[in-house]
Amino acid sequence: MKYFKLPDLGEGLPEADILEWHIQEGDQVTTDQVLVSVETAKAIIEIPSPQDGEIAHLFGQAGDTIHTGEPLIEFANEEQEDTGTVVGEISAAEPGTSKDSFIIGAAPSSRNHQQVQATPAVRALAQRLQVDLNSISGTGQSGHITPDDVQKAADMNRLHGPVEPLKGVRKQMARTMSQSHAEVVPVTLFEDADLHSWPADSDITMRLIQAIAYACAEVPILNSWFDGQSMALRQHEATHLGVAVDTDKGLFVPVLRDIGTRTTDDLRTGLECLRTDVRNRTIPASELQGATITLSNFGTLAGRYATPIIVPPQVAILGAGVVREHPVAVNGQLEIHRLMPLSLTFDHRVATGGEAARFLAALIKQLEQPFDEQL
Amino acid sequence: MSHNITMVEAVNLALKRAMHNSEDVVVLGEDVGPNGGVFRATVDLRDEFGPRRVLDTPLAEAMIAGLSIGMAAQGLKPVAEIQFMGFIFPTLEQIMCHAARLRNRTRGRLSCPMVLRAPFGGGIHAPEHHSESTEALLAHIPGLRVVIPSSPARAYGLLLAAIECPDPVIFLEPKRIYRASKQAVEDNGIALPLDTCFTLREGSDITLISWGAMITETLQAADQLASQGISAEVIDVASVSPLDSETLLASVQKTGRCVIIHEAPRSGGVGAEISAILAEKGLLALQAPIARVTGYDTVMPYYRLEQHYLPNTQDILESAQQTLSFS
Amino acid sequence: MERTFHGEIYLTQYLDTQGTLVQPLPENPQLAERLRDCYRNMVLARALDTKAIALQRTGQMGTYASMLGAEAIDVTIGLCMQPSDVLVPYYRNHASQHIRGAAMEDLLLYWGGDERGNANPAMNQDFPNCVPIATQALHACGVASAMKIRGEKRCALTVCGDGGTSKGDFMEALNVAGAWQLPIVFVVNNNQWAISVPRAIQCGAPTLAQKAFSAGIRGEQVDGNDAIAMHEVLSRALERAREGKGPTLIEALSYRLSDHTTADDATRYRDNEELKAAWEREPIKRLQTFLHQQGWWDEAQEKAWQSEVALMVQGAVERYLSTDPQPVESMFDHLYEEMPSSVQEQRDWAQVKAMKGGSHHES
Repeated sequence: MKYFKLPDLGEGLPEADILEWHIQEGDQVTTDQVLVSVETAKAIIEIPSPQDGEIAHLFGQAGDTIHTGEPLIEFANEEQEDTGTVVGEISAAEPGTSKDSFIIGAAPSSRNHQQVQATPAVRALAQRLQVDLNSISGTGQSGHITPDDVQKAADMNRLHGPVEPLKGVRKQMARTMSQSHAEVVPVTLFEDADLHSWPADSDITMRLIQAIAYACAEVPILNSWFDGQSMALRQHEATHLGVAVDTDKGLFVPVLRDIGTRTTDDLRTGLECLRTDVRNRTIPASELQGATITLSNFGTLAGRYATPIIVPPQVAILGAGVVREHPVAVNGQLEIHRLMPLSLTFDHRVATGGEAARFLAALIKQLEQPFDEQL
Repeated sequence: MSHNITMVEAVNLALKRAMHNSEDVVVLGEDVGPNGGVFRATVDLRDEFGPRRVLDTPLAEAMIAGLSIGMAAQGLKPVAEIQFMGFIFPTLEQIMCHAARLRNRTRGRLSCPMVLRAPFGGGIHAPEHHSESTEALLAHIPGLRVVIPSSPARAYGLLLAAIECPDPVIFLEPKRIYRASKQAVEDNGIALPLDTCFTLREGSDITLISWGAMITETLQAADQLASQGISAEVIDVASVSPLDSETLLASVQKTGRCVIIHEAPRSGGVGAEISAILAEKGLLALQAPIARVTGYDTVMPYYRLEQHYLPNTQDILESAQQTLSFS
Repeated sequence: MERTFHGEIYLTQYLDTQGTLVQPLPENPQLAERLRDCYRNMVLARALDTKAIALQRTGQMGTYASMLGAEAIDVTIGLCMQPSDVLVPYYRNHASQHIRGAAMEDLLLYWGGDERGNANPAMNQDFPNCVPIATQALHACGVASAMKIRGEKRCALTVCGDGGTSKGDFMEALNVAGAWQLPIVFVVNNNQWAISVPRAIQCGAPTLAQKAFSAGIRGEQVDGNDAIAMHEVLSRALERAREGKGPTLIEALSYRLSDHTTADDATRYRDNEELKAAWEREPIKRLQTFLHQQGWWDEAQEKAWQSEVALMVQGAVERYLSTDPQPVESMFDHLYEEMPSSVQEQRDWAQVKAMKGGSHHES
C-alpha cells in the first residue's frame, strides 16, 4: 500500500496523539517493525508496520493529534491501492492476455448457407409422414415447402419406395454434369490408335498419360480453362491431368500434377498414391482440384467409343476404350492389330475442329510409337 | 502501438485517442476530472488535455444530458459520463425529447452527435440502483443508438465509432467485466462499424445471441456444448439499437435453432424484439422455438440475492440443450 | 431604482471549534439532559459507523457510506423530530433512523444487501435510504402536502448533501415547498465533498442556504459540528413547519471525515492537511469538551457509556450476522399487491433453480 492510515484503535477511540516516531523519512522498514508510539485517552499504543518498505513521508510530528483513517505514513515506490470503483467490487483479470477474435457481421458459412424453408407446421407434418425435407423441392412462393409438397412426396414414397437424396460425390457429379450440359458445347472425335508396335509389357495408362502431355504441348489450346461468363481463356503452362477413378461410392477424379515434366516412374508412383487414397477415402479435397484436362480410361472395364463429358472450366476430355484385336488393311493385306479406341470431346466454344483434330493426331502419333520417346 | 489492457482501460485509451484526434471532443461528468472517474475510465485525461476539455460537473444528470445536447449542436463532440445506468433516468427527458429527435425535427439543419457513457449491469455486489440493465428502455427510442461492447478490443473500436458517429449514442459499458480480462488492443484509431453484430464463434448446430457481460457466460456455454460435440455459433449483438437483423437471420437460417441471452428483465427486453424479428423473417428456417434466457421480471434484488437473479452458464446450457432436442 | 428584494443568510453557532460557548445557551430547563442525550447518541452513532466499516473491510457487509463527522447533524435530527413527523433521508442518516426506531441490525441488513433492512414496522412512515440523489426531496414534499391537505400538525424532514442541491429534483422541491408553503424542513449536510467534487465547483453561490431565496422560503446556515446549534435551529424549524408557518432550508456546515463510501479512497483527490484540520473541528470532541466544562459529563460516565455502546453494537452485529438470507422467492413476493400469473411462473422457476441440482443452487 502507498498510504498507511491509522487503524481503528478500538473502544470508540477515534484519535490519538503522536508521542514519538521510531523511524525517519528515508528509512527501510520491515513488517511488524514499530513505527510510532501514540497515546490515546486510555493507553500508549505502539503501531507496527503493515509491510516492508521505504518511508517516503511521515504525516505529523510528536504532539500532533491524528484520527482513525487519517494517513500516517507514505511508503515510497508504491502504487496507491485502488478499488477502481465507488461501490461494490470489480473483479480483476487473471494474468495473461488474449487476442480478440471476431467476424464483423455474419460468418462465411452463414452467408453461403441454403436452408430448407418450411413452416414449423410443415416440418411437423414431414416428420409424421417420414418425409425427408431435404429430398423435395418446394412449390410455395420463394421456393418454400408446402403441406401439399410433403403430401405428394409421402404418396410417392408409398407407391414407389422411399427416395434417398444424393450425397457426397454422387451429388457433386450430378451437379457438375448438369452444369457441363448447360454450358459446354461438346463435339466428340472418334479414332483408333494402332498399338501393334508396342512391346508386350507396355503400361497402357502411362503411355496414355505421356501421349496426352505431348499432345497438350503441340496444341495447348486444349489444355486451358474457359470462363463462359466473361468469355475469357486461361492457358496453362503445365498440364495437370484429372484421372477418372471409379469406386462404389461414385466417381473421383484425382489430379496428377505436371505430367509434362515428370519421369514415368514418378508418374506411376504418384498415380498409385492417388488411387490408394481414393480407395481408402483419405484423399484430401485439394488433390481433387485444379485439373487442366481429364482422362477417362474406361477401357479397363468395357466400351469402345463414348462421348465423355467435359468438366468446366476445362475444355477437353479424352476417353480410352477397351483395347481389342481388329482386322486392319495394311498395304492391301489383311492383318490383325491391337487397336485402342479413343474419344476426344472438346468444347467447340473454345477449340476448332482443326485444333481438336491436330491434338488427336499428335496424341495418336505419340501413342503409336513402340516406346515413349520424345518425337 | 499495442496495449495489453482491460475493458475500462480500453475505454480510457479510446477517449485519449479521440481527444487527441480532435479538439472538439470534450469529456464531462461527475468525478471525471482529478478522480479519473469512479471506475477510472477518464483517468489522466485532465492532466493530458486540461480542465477546459475535461469537466467535473455539478451533480445533476439531466443537466449533463441537456448540456451535451447544446454542446453538440454547437459542433463540439461531448462524451458525457453518467456514473451508473441507475442514474440515467433523469436524462431520459433530454434524450427522448431532444437528443434523439433534434435532427428529425430540424430536417437535418441541427443534429446531436453526442455520446453518453454509462457503466451498467449487475454482479458487482453493489448497493441498490447500481446494477441496472435497462437498455431496452433506450432501445425503444427512435433516433437514438445504443451500443454495448463485450471485450476490451471492441470497447475501443466501438467507442471510437460512437464518438465519430453523427447520431446520439448511448454507450453502455458492462461493468462486471470492466477488468475481467486483458486483451491486446492496437491504439490505431480505427473505429468498428456500428450497424453490425459480431460473430464470435462460427458454428452450425445452434445460434447463441447475447451482448454485454453475458457474452462471457455465453462463450462458456458454447465451450461446454463443443465438448459435447455440439457446434454453437455465438453472436455479439453489440449495436442493440438499431439492430443488425441480417446477421442474426443469416445465422438462424443456417442453424435453425436459437437462444437469446440477456440479464435485463424478460418482458419487453431487447430479446423480445430479436425474437419477433426471427419469427417474422426466419420462421421457415426455425426447427425449434426461439428460447430466451433472461433476468426475471423483478426489481434487481439487493446484492445478497443477486446471484439468484443473474442468468448463469448452466441456465444457458440447459436452454440450449432443450432447444437442440426439440423435434 | 427600487430594491425589490434583499436577502440575508445567518449562521448559528453556540460552540466554537474548541468547544467554548460563543453566545448564551438557549433557554431550556432540560438542556443538560438533552445535550447528554445528544452526546450519548453521537458516541453510539460513531461506534456503529466504525463497526460497519470494519464489517465491510472483512467482507461481512457490502459497500457502506460512512457518516463520520456528521454525528451532530444526524443525531439532532433524530432527537428533535417527533414520532408523528416523517423522516425522508438520503444515505448518510444512520443515526436519525436508529433514533427513530430502526434497529441497528436493520441498518446493517440494508448495507448487507437485504431489503428487510427497510421493512421494520418500527420505522413507521419514514422513507428508507434514498440513493438516486435528491429524489427524496420531492417525496418529502409529497408527504408534507398530504399533511397539509389533511390539516395535521405534523411535518416532514428531508436531508441531502451539498451535491444533492445541484439536482433539479432539489430545486423543484424547494420551489413547490415555497409555492405551497409546505410543512417541511430541508437539511443540507454540506460536508464539502460530493465524492471527489469539492463544494467550490458544485455551486457558484456563496451559500447553499440562499437557494431558499429562489423558492421564497426561509434559509439559514448552522455550524453542523455544533450539536447545540443544530438542536436549536432544527427545533425552531420543525416547530415552525408543524404550526403552518412554512418551510425552512437549513444548510449545516460540516466536513466529510471519511471516504465517500468504503470503496472510495479520498486520498486520491483530497489534501491530507485539509482533512487533519477538519478533525480539529469535529463534533463529538467539541460537545464532549463543553459537557465536561459544564460539569454535565465526566470520565466515569464516559467509561460506562463506552462499555454499554460496545455491548449494544456487538449485539446488533451478532443479530445481523446470524440472519439467514431471504429465500429466493422473496424476489417476487413484494412486486405487486397480488402476484400476477406471469410472475408466479417465474417465481416457481426461481425456486426450482435454487434447489439442489438446480442452476442457481447455493451450496
